[in-house]
Amino acid sequence: MPIIKTHQLTKRFGQNVAIDALSLHVNPGEIYGFLGLNGAGKTTLIRMLLGMIKPDEGSITVMGQPLHPGFDQWNEVGYLVETPYSYPNLSVEENLRVYYKLRQLRDPNSIDTIIEQLKLSKYRNTKAKVLSLGNQQRLGLAKALMHQPRLLILDEPINGLDPEGIVEVRELLIQLAQQGSTIFLSSHILSEIARIAHRIGIIHEGRLVKELTTGELTDNLIRKLIVHTQDNTLALYCLTEAGYPAVLTDRNEIEINDRKAFDCPESISRLLVEKGLPPRQMYMFTEDLEAYFLRSIRHT
Amino acid sequence: MIQLSTLQAEFIKLKYSTILGVTFLAFGLAPLMGGVFVLLVQDAEALEKASGLAAKARLIHFEANWKSYLDILNQAVGVGGVLVFGFVASWLFGREYSDGTAKDLLALPTSRTSILNAKFSLYILWCLALAVSNLLLGLVIGLLLQLPEPVSGDVSQFLLDYFTTTGLTILVGVPIAFFAIWGKGYLAPLGFVALTLVFAQVIAATGYGSYFPWSIPGLYSGAGGEYKDLLDVYSYSILVVVALLGYLSAVLYWTKADQTK
Repeated sequence: MPIIKTHQLTKRFGQNVAIDALSLHVNPGEIYGFLGLNGAGKTTLIRMLLGMIKPDEGSITVMGQPLHPGFDQWNEVGYLVETPYSYPNLSVEENLRVYYKLRQLRDPNSIDTIIEQLKLSKYRNTKAKVLSLGNQQRLGLAKALMHQPRLLILDEPINGLDPEGIVEVRELLIQLAQQGSTIFLSSHILSEIARIAHRIGIIHEGRLVKELTTGELTDNLIRKLIVHTQDNTLALYCLTEAGYPAVLTDRNEIEINDRKAFDCPESISRLLVEKGLPPRQMYMFTEDLEAYFLRSIRHT
Repeated sequence: MIQLSTLQAEFIKLKYSTILGVTFLAFGLAPLMGGVFVLLVQDAEALEKASGLAAKARLIHFEANWKSYLDILNQAVGVGGVLVFGFVASWLFGREYSDGTAKDLLALPTSRTSILNAKFSLYILWCLALAVSNLLLGLVIGLLLQLPEPVSGDVSQFLLDYFTTTGLTILVGVPIAFFAIWGKGYLAPLGFVALTLVFAQVIAATGYGSYFPWSIPGLYSGAGGEYKDLLDVYSYSILVVVALLGYLSAVLYWTKADQTK
């Protein structure tokens, strides 16, 4: 049973279609990365999954229960929506105490545990308004995690974190997923999503334009073998004659787009040496995630 | 039990808030002003020098006794309370949007209605505390000024009037919650408070204040003089209906409308 399931979800704000017939599902224990440009509909979808915005059409099921005003599984859900804000005059501990009360928690150690887990012990009695952006983000995550939810919905969870913080949060999320939590996260840092997500959904203008596993993502990235020799025109002729689909680029480089060449680049090297055109430079170009993302949304 | 935890959470949020002290200070000006009036009336020479205040004291037939002094306190709740209680409601219901924390209250095991009810409870407690603090401050000032001993019947009648005025003023502040949630911050509710204050004065002056909810606490407190006699069952019913509509619209908007901030 999927932990999150949306069916033909649609939301309009006036004439603007924010979410357009979006159907997706997130499986238990899965980290689902959600990518999209600003205004693509990521936050609207996240707010809809949290019952903050009602769909005009379609349905949402969370943990097998339809999402309606009587939904009673909120203590199984932790969330962070957009910039995490806290009560500025309250300390880290007091901020967490507020949510301890509102979540009706009974374990008095839960605040201490999460403060320690998110490395906020040093700031326990520091007022939220003087925390750095990174520590405010940690506090936001602490609020989302303190009740050990089965489902985490996180909007840009590593925003503002320093490199060490990013690694810590990444490891924490992977650890939570390994312990059985399901994580639905959006981020504009594509490489970060690709590093931790099991599956990735790309949203553009409210529509889910692509959904693929991390393995499929790697396969879908454009790869090219780039070769540079003393005489590229002659080398191109030799390679074409040998059956390789090669082209000469504007930068006077030979570009080979062929799986056989990717799997066995030494055969290219050998061929060119035999023809008296030893490669001066030969490397594999792999499309970066940003380029893939932009290509995906432009082809919709 | 859930409601108690929710109220406790509201109390935690209130800690270190500057507005808490500011409302007590602002509201506490009324008994202090009353004390100044008493001093002026007690001292004929000072009364001559402070011509503006003296004119005001004469206008309201102010005398240096407990009845006059307590009437000032009552009118402060009925008129000044609309403003100060309005600030309290604006802050309580608008702060979540200004602090950016509203979204953190929307997907919790505690229902949205419980959260709003806790805020309304705190609003009532806060306003009552303001009223009681003015009463205590007034008592201290009155004793320091050695006002003549009051008639016991006057005191009990005053207390009944004072807390009725407080209740009426609390009720007219209820719709402010809707404006804070609808306007997503302080601006709309504070604008609403300012408007109601202006209209309360203008409409009361035209003689129709007994049917305008925001004039009613002031009229009841005696601030409008003989206009208090115009208040009838319809006046109180209108006020109660406005408070109920304010509560229901706040709850419905908070629970049903799309929350995009």
